[in-house]
Amino acid sequence: MAAHEILAATNAVVTLDVGIPDIVWPWLVTVNMWAKSIGTGVIFMIFFLLRMYPDSSQKLRLPVAIISFIFLNIFLLFTLADLHQPLRMWHIFVYSHWTSAIAVGAMMATVFVGLVSLLVLLAWQKKNEAFDKLLLWTTILAIPVTLYTASLMAQCTARELWQMPTEAAQMMLAALIAGSATLILVGNSLSDEAKRFLGVVLGLSALMAFIIFMSEYIFGPMKAEEVTAVLAFIKGNGEWTTAFWLGQWLTYLLPMLLVVLSRVSGSTAILKLAAILSLIGLAIVKHVWLIIPQLLPMS
Amino acid sequence: MQLGFLVDLHLCMGCKGCEIACKVENEVPLSTWRLRVKYVDVGTFPETKRTFTPLRCNHCANAPCERICPVSALHYLENGIVNIDKERCIGCAGCVMACPYGAIYIDPQTQTADKCTYCAHRIASSMMPACVVACPVQANIFGDLDDPASDISKYIQRHQGDVKVRKPEKGTDPHHFYVGGGEVNLNPLASKREKGHSLFNNITTLPVGGHH
Repeated sequence: MAAHEILAATNAVVTLDVGIPDIVWPWLVTVNMWAKSIGTGVIFMIFFLLRMYPDSSQKLRLPVAIISFIFLNIFLLFTLADLHQPLRMWHIFVYSHWTSAIAVGAMMATVFVGLVSLLVLLAWQKKNEAFDKLLLWTTILAIPVTLYTASLMAQCTARELWQMPTEAAQMMLAALIAGSATLILVGNSLSDEAKRFLGVVLGLSALMAFIIFMSEYIFGPMKAEEVTAVLAFIKGNGEWTTAFWLGQWLTYLLPMLLVVLSRVSGSTAILKLAAILSLIGLAIVKHVWLIIPQLLPMS
Repeated sequence: MQLGFLVDLHLCMGCKGCEIACKVENEVPLSTWRLRVKYVDVGTFPETKRTFTPLRCNHCANAPCERICPVSALHYLENGIVNIDKERCIGCAGCVMACPYGAIYIDPQTQTADKCTYCAHRIASSMMPACVVACPVQANIFGDLDDPASDISKYIQRHQGDVKVRKPEKGTDPHHFYVGGGEVNLNPLASKREKGHSLFNNITTLPVGGHH
């Protein structure tokens, strides 16, 4: 018998228990994920741009490396701030437990920040050839750095909503959205073709991410009771329904429409508006998905 | 040796003696619990009854908390106990997020994760866990699951059809069993949890790590 049927039959009510723990991973983790999406996303984008549109993307090496460096440090700073014992962060490197996505991710992120720091240095010294060689390895490492948070969420056995295949796809799409949106905003020197390419990346990534979200929204409850209970927070009069749909419109639906509109009209301003909306919306989307599984009592 | 726990819910009368014994033995701070007894009322007045369910760490053989801990603060002892080293814990709360039983909390005094250890320090001195000693009706049965002659193994053999674990679908292989437990006792989704609906207080949400 399903839990909701038992509930209907027994009218069972918890009359005495400890309070439910408050949100364990708060907005600090949202900022962590959001900043990492930008930090790795811009690396993906500059990698493609330098190969597809080398002439117009030459000048972006230094600004992109600096943007990546800044947002990766924001990501690390908020990771640290979320620890209840931040001064023991070094334990991760000394007592590493390799089954933990947190330990593996911390190692990879540290190496990644090191590589991005080198990119900044090489771009500053205008050593373009060395920059491009190092960029290849940095881009390769950016893939697992982007994905490790998904595996961390998947290791949270208590949170049925977070499944590795969907979270991995969403992390990668978030990086593509954040990376393309950021470069749309800072890439004034890019050719129209390159800007259109970034628009396509933004629009298609938004479409794919939206399809995955809607798939989980509609079909998730058909698989697991816990997912049904969690998604109730973003359905109907659920307390996170408004935030969920605000995020979906800002990150995916409106940018998709605006990308199409910008292609038709040739307007860069509309494309920039799409980029701004998607960057704002991404933080909301990430936050809602982070919080709702934590609202469910575990015991 | 694989130590395990069994609670016979037919016997438990909700006295909370185990809860208090645990608090005292392990100096568990205010607002946090390693072990607590949950009351769930079933039925509609006047046809109602109250159920009591002691809840603690399940010391899973496939523990998500142990797996996710980046510094091995959560680790297995040779006797199967999932122990915690609070000096090593960095307070990332990954274990709190991973545990499907809500058995781990952030200690507001040390700002590190903490949970039931089956009183590992007492076990090391050949003593029973404090909650076992305190139970007036011997509803807590503790012992070696690998030993067919142990009390817990015999109890499981005698009540084979009535032995359950919480959330078996999670694949955690808990070393904590219940006899006489139904969905209402063991599945948090099978009971309503109304805000402000509590016998003795109206605290419904606890700040993690003691921050307000």
